[in-house]
Amino acid sequence: MKKSLWKKDLYAGLFLLPFFLAYVIFTIFPIFKGLQMSFFNWSLIEKGEFTGFSQYIALFTDIDFWQSLWNTTLFVILSTPGMIILALLLALLANLNSKLKTLFRSAYFLPSILSVSVISFLAIFILQPYNGFLNNFIQLFGIDAEPFWLSNPVLAWVSIVGVTLWWTVGFNMILFLTALQDIPDHLYEAAEIDGATRWQMFKSITLPQLIPISRVILLLQVLSSFKVFAQILLITDGGPGTSTRPLIQYIYEMGFERYDLGYAASMSYVLFFILLVLSIIQIRAGGQGGRMI
Amino acid sequence: MSTPNALLERNRDPLRLLKVIIALVVALLFIFPIIWMLFVSLKPKNMAVANPLDWFTPPYTFANYTEILMESDVLLWLWNSVIIGVITTVLTLIITSLAAFALSKMQFRYKTPIFLFFLAGMMVPGEATIIPLFEIVKSMNMLDTYAGLILPMIASPIGVIILKSFFDSVPHEVMESARIDGCSNWRLFWNIVLPLAKPALAAIAIFTFIGSWNNFLWPFLAIVSEELYTLPVGIPTFNSTYSSSYMLPMTVNAIASIPVIIAFLLFEKQIVKGVSFTGLKG
Repeated sequence: MKKSLWKKDLYAGLFLLPFFLAYVIFTIFPIFKGLQMSFFNWSLIEKGEFTGFSQYIALFTDIDFWQSLWNTTLFVILSTPGMIILALLLALLANLNSKLKTLFRSAYFLPSILSVSVISFLAIFILQPYNGFLNNFIQLFGIDAEPFWLSNPVLAWVSIVGVTLWWTVGFNMILFLTALQDIPDHLYEAAEIDGATRWQMFKSITLPQLIPISRVILLLQVLSSFKVFAQILLITDGGPGTSTRPLIQYIYEMGFERYDLGYAASMSYVLFFILLVLSIIQIRAGGQGGRMI
Repeated sequence: MSTPNALLERNRDPLRLLKVIIALVVALLFIFPIIWMLFVSLKPKNMAVANPLDWFTPPYTFANYTEILMESDVLLWLWNSVIIGVITTVLTLIITSLAAFALSKMQFRYKTPIFLFFLAGMMVPGEATIIPLFEIVKSMNMLDTYAGLILPMIASPIGVIILKSFFDSVPHEVMESARIDGCSNWRLFWNIVLPLAKPALAAIAIFTFIGSWNNFLWPFLAIVSEELYTLPVGIPTFNSTYSSSYMLPMTVNAIASIPVIIAFLLFEKQIVKGVSFTGLKG
């Protein structure tokens, strides 16, 4: 019955081959291709001459690059606390002992399944001045204001972060909810026997039990917020001016509006390393979280 | 949930009713924009709405839907989204389950290094390699084709990992007795292991489909001609055309959203399970 080694390898190879090919061509090869491109003058049409490190050096003095990197970082700073705290609050609400709990969970999660184009389009029409729903609604309460949500830099950030919270916080809520439901009942029973109040139980059982998943969520969130692009492109187009333009949008504009793929590739590489470091941190911390759950 | 202890707790929390009301209000706030979108899509096209509450009152009409479906390319975009979503999902399921089966149940050399190599893919941020990916797909002459939109999206390391852990839980004895009965690897895979992994396959399928349905960045770059537009790429082009009127853009939005909302309501359990998978492993 024992097959020779190479025959076993061949069988397994046949099972592995389709995934292997797609994975190598479209996931792994681009990493090396990107490195090569970042060292060349590379237009949308053709490969130009070797430029060495000059595109990386140019990065350091490119104010637009730094501004867009800062905008991305700012988005991470502004959105992450809400993404964690709001998610936890929503999970607590969806975990209430109520017949409606499934409905709560569905409602909080529903926006997450919509396309970025849909939510952006919705945001534009709700937020536009004069006949936008939000301003009309505010005025309904007698408040005489006409905020230009998308053309004032501060309000534009508020809008982008707010829309993103509404759109994606449900994902983190589910993660918290799963963790909440995994907290063993006997911990609460024991505390109840000891006469603990609800608040004491929350503080000394629920919160500590949620620390591992919180760490996972925090890192997942930072990682995914660092990739922010589409909702900003579609809602403010990086505006007003370039005040909300994130790094990926600048990369996109460099590559596909100014046709400089080489420079776009070198900026992508900087992003690649930032994200790689973040995900290595995440996987290490995620291992700890995974054990708890 | 209705253990005596839970009941005791329920009775003890004096703020429970208040909390439930807060939860309900927040839930309404979350779905409000979606409800609004659906109501707007039902309003006559040229109606002027001064009071925001008027959005929700009659008259209603399906004329916007007929107009959008008949006179714009939305139906074509819808078709493209469906085709691309279905093929992406099927191919993802096929290649990830084959690879996961080999890694879980077959004996071969360099198994661990190959698994680690696949695992490493989870750390590769697609957004940061999109420029070279564009160049690669271009050099394969696949820009602006279905193949170019689908093939780069199917090699999902997380899918392999989830399926492998499911396959790992199939008892060794089941496999051995089937082998002794002369089952080939293919039959083991198709007749025994795959049926047992249905929940995982379903979760991956739903996630892949919704991901593909909503995908923006890659189709946005890889599609040039309008006949290939998917809904997410097509929708923003409506903004410039119609931004003064609400009704037609919100109708397009509704057409793009209703299928995923229905899918969500039907498969909520699997979707929620899928989220916790990705959260743990992703």
